[in-house]
Amino acid sequence: MDIILNQYYLQIVIFVLVNAILGVSIYMTLSTGQLSLGNAGFMSIGAYTCAILTVKAGFPVYLAIPIGGAAASFISLIIGYPALRLTGIYLAIATLGFGEVVRVIILNLKITNGALGISGIPTLGTKISKMLSSFGLSRFGGLTAQQTSNLLVLVVLIFILAFLVFFCTRLNRSRVGRAFASIKADESAAEAMGINTTYYKLLAFALGAFIAGMAGGLSAHLTFFIGPKDFAYHRTVEILSFAVLGGSDLIIGPIVGALLLTMLPELLRSASEYRLMIYGALMVIMMAFRPQGLISEETVRFWKRKLGRRIKQ
Amino acid sequence: MKKGLTKWFTGMMIGTLLLTTAGCGGGSAPAANSVSEGAGTAKIGVVAYLSGGGAAYGQSQKEGLDLAKDEINALGKVKIELVYEDSRGNNTEAINAVNKLINKDNVVALIGPTLSGEMFASGPIANQSEVPIMGTSTTAEGITDIGEFVFRNALPESSAVPQAVKMAVEKYNLKKVAIMYSSNNDWAVSGYKTMAQALKDNGVEVLATETFADKDTDFSAQLTKISSLKPDAVMVSSLYQEAALVLKKAREIGITVPFVGTNGFNSPELIKIAGQAADGAIVASPWYPGKESEKITKFVTDYKAKYNKVPDQFAAQSYDALYIYASALEKAGSSTDRAKLRDSLATIKDFQGVTGKFAFDEKRNPLMDATVLIVKDGQFTELK
Repeated sequence: MDIILNQYYLQIVIFVLVNAILGVSIYMTLSTGQLSLGNAGFMSIGAYTCAILTVKAGFPVYLAIPIGGAAASFISLIIGYPALRLTGIYLAIATLGFGEVVRVIILNLKITNGALGISGIPTLGTKISKMLSSFGLSRFGGLTAQQTSNLLVLVVLIFILAFLVFFCTRLNRSRVGRAFASIKADESAAEAMGINTTYYKLLAFALGAFIAGMAGGLSAHLTFFIGPKDFAYHRTVEILSFAVLGGSDLIIGPIVGALLLTMLPELLRSASEYRLMIYGALMVIMMAFRPQGLISEETVRFWKRKLGRRIKQ
Repeated sequence: MKKGLTKWFTGMMIGTLLLTTAGCGGGSAPAANSVSEGAGTAKIGVVAYLSGGGAAYGQSQKEGLDLAKDEINALGKVKIELVYEDSRGNNTEAINAVNKLINKDNVVALIGPTLSGEMFASGPIANQSEVPIMGTSTTAEGITDIGEFVFRNALPESSAVPQAVKMAVEKYNLKKVAIMYSSNNDWAVSGYKTMAQALKDNGVEVLATETFADKDTDFSAQLTKISSLKPDAVMVSSLYQEAALVLKKAREIGITVPFVGTNGFNSPELIKIAGQAADGAIVASPWYPGKESEKITKFVTDYKAKYNKVPDQFAAQSYDALYIYASALEKAGSSTDRAKLRDSLATIKDFQGVTGKFAFDEKRNPLMDATVLIVKDGQFTELK
């Protein structure tokens, strides 16, 4: 029990969950076959909107985080409308450029405090435990205040992630999901079948941006500090690698990718200076032998078949 | 083909599993032992920028700390064990490193992280866990506002820069100056703000304020403009890479006035890159290896003997930080009580380190005098 409740492990699980939410955000746009690299940009919009609202305007966190998501979503509609006429690598470059533009704007605005970033963002944990204590629930037997607040954050994040997974699986079986899949399979054919591709692509883009913006808001309240440096190009690559490593066919893919890629650097800490070398080598090996990502529809089918057989025996 | 793939896949999964569990085992084993054996040894965690773009800073800090640790342990009043974690200059990594050191390694106190941004992210964690944390290179405004457990022995820019500006103004009778700073570096921006304030306080007119970005290599546009305004001096706030190139270009287009810099100027690398052009660069530094003092000479010789180079400011401040911890530990009389250590740390006064006489003020910032240096013939010398 002690091991499970260790701050260090709790914190890592929290980062895994936030990254998993980011993984879902890139899955959303990838599910229409669009490679958008603007997620770090949307994340930063969400994070800054949320941080400014809570720190400077005194908004409650539970309102600020969705507002951050909505702001990111709104911006995504504005840039998505022209940008989504591009496909493939052109869209990737355009959205990548967008991310950089957002970063430079943040760097030069007064309200975002430029390169100094925003510090002293209230933590999500203390906010939640304050809220709970106002309902009369303060401490759970035997836990330190910090453990309680981290556990609460964990529960909230698991809840959000579970909701997103539920939402996406439901979405896949709906009219919208079928439209997404058909656009992914063949855009021209989908258009010929009467699907309004621009509308659906924009919808996926905005949904992805909303999720990324929320994840940004959450992470701002978990790291206490945000600066433009945190949302640079490497963040986009990190998010993309969740989907690339885990596979982007199914929603579980990016989540597993986020899990592995967040845990690996921590697990490899004992290797100290060889840490990043091992990490890099693992990535190369994975990509060489599993270019479609760890989890594809085939893997799921394979395991279903195998497990099914075992049950019969 | 499908079968082959799935085989590979299972192989890979098992491989990763083995690797990760192996990593797990290796990491947790020492943590379990330490509680029983660590009666007299104080375990101090260090979070430093050990890999990536700023690895040179972290490396210097590690060297300074290692040297201090060996000396302190040889003296035998307190025993110190250091546990290093790399933060890669990344906020989340710094949070994870601090969490690991506190909760897995059970350290009594922390040193680091290297960057101010990292401190803003990970300081609150240490503060909540009530573990003293001391930054040795976190110079930005507001670091110690994080909380009671956050200390620093890094001279904040707000204290070092005005000393340099004042000295330069008096010495060279400056009336009008130009300012340049790196606008995408949090630390350089904060340095710029202090600089502008110090100039205002000294009644110096600012002719122009030009910005550039980290990793820029061409400064001709800004410097040509500055050159045409004929300032008495140019103030620069940036890291040494850009500062050196600014100096080089400035001398090239005929700006011969002194350059006053923030802490970024305070590196031997500046002279290495800029060469002759570095002459006339002024900076306030808590650390000056050429100062005549027995303590400093000893430190410099020992450091040279061990690492074959002159210690820089990062090494010197980390070296002092560990000695400060050592004397606080001695006073606290316990190698595991974090709260006691914090209290005795807060009362540190008249501490004589290689960076001069040192005390913590009531906000846990250092009270110390900086030495104002000027580059002359490719050497830092004291500006008197």
